[in-house]
Amino acid sequence: MSDLPTTRREFLHHSGAGIGLLAFSSFAPAFLVNSVRGSTPIPERDRSILVLVQLAGGNDGLNTVVPYTDDHYHRLRPNLGLKHLEVLPIDDHLALHPACGELHDLFHEGRLSVVQNVGYPNPNRSHFRSSEIWETASDANEFSATGWLGRYLDNTCDGTGMTDQPVALHVSPETPQAFNADKVHSVFGMRPNQGNTRRQRERRVDPMTIMAAFADDDDAVHPNQHFLQQTTMNALVTERKVMEVIGAYRAQATYPTSSFARSLHNVAAMIAAGFSTRVYFVSLGGFDTHANQADLHQRLLRTLSQGLAAFQNDLIAHGLQDQVLTATFSEFGRRPAENQSRGTDHGTAAPLFVMGSKLQATLVGRTPNLDLPEKQADLQHTTDFRSVYATLIDRWLEADADTVLGQKFDRLGFL
Amino acid sequence: MVTQTLPPPLASWNPLPVESWDVDHARHLLRRAGWSAQPDQVDRAVDEGLRRTLDRLFPRRPVGWQPPSSVGELENEIRARFAELRSGPREDRQKVRNEIRQKSRAVTQKMALAWMQHAHDPQHSAFEKWVLFLQDIYVVGEQKVANAALLHRHQATLRRHALGPAPLLTKAVSRSPAMVIYLDLQGSRRAQPNENFARELFELFVLGEGNYSETDVKEAARAFVGYRQIEGEFRFLRRQADLGSKTVLSESGRLEGDDVIDIAYRQPAARSFLPAEMVRFYLTSDGLDDAALAPLANYWHAHDYNLRALLHRFFGSEMFYAESFRGNYIKSPIQFLLGLNQDLGTDPLPVPRFTLNNLRGMGQTLFNPPNVRGWVGGQAWINSTTLAARRNAVNLAINGPPNRILNADDQAAIEQAEAAGIGPFSPTAEHLEQWGDSDPAATARNAAMHLLPHPVPASGLNLITQLLRRGRRESSRQALQILLSVPDYNLC
Repeated sequence: MSDLPTTRREFLHHSGAGIGLLAFSSFAPAFLVNSVRGSTPIPERDRSILVLVQLAGGNDGLNTVVPYTDDHYHRLRPNLGLKHLEVLPIDDHLALHPACGELHDLFHEGRLSVVQNVGYPNPNRSHFRSSEIWETASDANEFSATGWLGRYLDNTCDGTGMTDQPVALHVSPETPQAFNADKVHSVFGMRPNQGNTRRQRERRVDPMTIMAAFADDDDAVHPNQHFLQQTTMNALVTERKVMEVIGAYRAQATYPTSSFARSLHNVAAMIAAGFSTRVYFVSLGGFDTHANQADLHQRLLRTLSQGLAAFQNDLIAHGLQDQVLTATFSEFGRRPAENQSRGTDHGTAAPLFVMGSKLQATLVGRTPNLDLPEKQADLQHTTDFRSVYATLIDRWLEADADTVLGQKFDRLGFL
Repeated sequence: MVTQTLPPPLASWNPLPVESWDVDHARHLLRRAGWSAQPDQVDRAVDEGLRRTLDRLFPRRPVGWQPPSSVGELENEIRARFAELRSGPREDRQKVRNEIRQKSRAVTQKMALAWMQHAHDPQHSAFEKWVLFLQDIYVVGEQKVANAALLHRHQATLRRHALGPAPLLTKAVSRSPAMVIYLDLQGSRRAQPNENFARELFELFVLGEGNYSETDVKEAARAFVGYRQIEGEFRFLRRQADLGSKTVLSESGRLEGDDVIDIAYRQPAARSFLPAEMVRFYLTSDGLDDAALAPLANYWHAHDYNLRALLHRFFGSEMFYAESFRGNYIKSPIQFLLGLNQDLGTDPLPVPRFTLNNLRGMGQTLFNPPNVRGWVGGQAWINSTTLAARRNAVNLAINGPPNRILNADDQAAIEQAEAAGIGPFSPTAEHLEQWGDSDPAATARNAAMHLLPHPVPASGLNLITQLLRRGRRESSRQALQILLSVPDYNLC
């Protein structure tokens, strides 16, 4: 009994008298059945963990990692261009946006890598389609039903591994396409502010009690009925566990009050609790800065910078920094030339950040060429985003990147 | 994935014997052909018998639908703005295109809500679900088409041909401006024919994978060069067309687009392709093998690929009512939501950020399937996130719009709808009374029988009964919420 997951005991407790029968019925949650069979592998607590941060809307790369000594940059951006004195230099040519103070520190400590000018051939400028391309890791003219992380899970998990700890967890209202997989994995989704307030003690019937009361104990139930009961049950058990973990968590760093930071705080809580979850997905939206970009972009980057730094400091304080790698992505960068509304329009390539304590290089890839053939031209990417994925899958998650991506891509030097 | 397999049904595609028709059969029909089985509709179907019910659900003539006026207004505006801009600089054109894209998105949302309001009327449910099925075959999407008026026109095309011969439908679709854009006929040139439409014509509309070669696709693509949409109207530009000889699926000649479609329907694979898709959409997401499908496929072929004949045979067969197909189909989000509204006697809340965001959270966006293959369906609809969205939908439908977080736009939309006689948006006491009985246990049994596809275990009925015994409004509400939140409510 002692090596069973805590949730099983909780489950027994919450389900009351009916449990003796329930535990062996087709309706019992998978983790419970597995425990009884003794076949659940014990979660490996020192496995590497990837936290993916989506900057939704298309982040303006040129004002994030600024080529501040490039005259073309200032010519293309008479209003939005950031001046020498305000930016935070990372070398003689490049600087971070002034709102990225914390990321700037991390860069100089060797805990932040900048991967420059990342994109893909034949770029698509639709938010929806380009996000889909990034999340499915497909070619621009190819449609894939599965996401790159979903395929990673397909390749590494047996697909029946429903446990009380999900293999992948997202903090966003919809399941990221990146998680779509051929097999069924225990993927859990939560809202950014979930667990923020203590659960109200309502006079509600406990969901577990409902499940137990409505469990159909007939062995002949249809597979779909069985599947629905099990998925619902697993979601309830996971939610309970997640809420408990978040409620009990004591962060060792001060997180800002943004819901983005709250999401990262919750991720830290689950990592610190030793969840066997390998992949987390967190989203920060609002980067579609078509008009009056300056203030808006500054606020967004501050939220990003402060949130990521708090998360990293928290991991360090818990001694977990070697286990976690965080990477950002955005569906596209923005056009080099600013538009008439003091904003920028949908573009192509952009830099992305990788944060962690095991980085091998802090500046990777080539700086974009701003000597454009015409004013409205877009950047030509020099690093394929799937090279970033290949590096993450291969050298961080330790899986077969070429199989997951279906093609061979160069590995990059940040790991 | 649970892979337990069912025993093969012993039923055939022969008509269901008249004497078999009863309440259970009627419920199964209404839940699968439409969104839910309402008591009055079940009674009516039992009284009328299967044949007359099918005549009513799938009548001789398609049922029209008037979209919101904003669709027509958008169409006019797009015409006017592009006429204005024809000679303007490239930058302006891009700007206007972006503006129209945004406007179109808002109009598409209005259209989606108006369609839901129309489709959730039990009089329209079966036909509108069939139109949705056709939209899931002949996919076009808002993301790429970016013009609500063309999306509506495409749906109207499907609607017009929904009950006639399938080849006519396919030919009409090849001329739908939204399709011309969506599958890139617009950019197809004689020197370099775009193969997108020709490929999907074979793979996703008529034949299915493995029933044509790459050469067939290349040759067929030539026949559709010159199909264009100009300002939202279909044009065949004969001077652009490739009028030379082509060989498609072993037939040669100076083939045009319509010829290619006729050739496709002459292939044996065409007989079973659409019936197989219907089986997956209406009967079982596992599908049926070719042998099991053959009688239906041959029947359809013998009836000149008439879609109404196919529908009547499909929903009128022993196979459709086989015991092993009852109560085990996972509802799509749209069925979940519209069925929920029907069960509660409510109208869909006409506020995009609640109703449509909720639907998206469940994994479905009307007029915008994820890609050319449409929605995957089945178990793919269900995960912890989509289950949470389904729970939210139940809360919203039971409790009505949360007044304290409605903004001015939301309130205006609700007031406007109420002025047009739409509503209520939460169940009335009278509606819930229909399950009422002086004995709470009987009330619990009634409600469970109407709402859920399977008998509820005694422990579940006890729980509901206890709540109802308290006699408090809040407890009854909770009882209802429980019945609509149990896993079985996702099945039909």
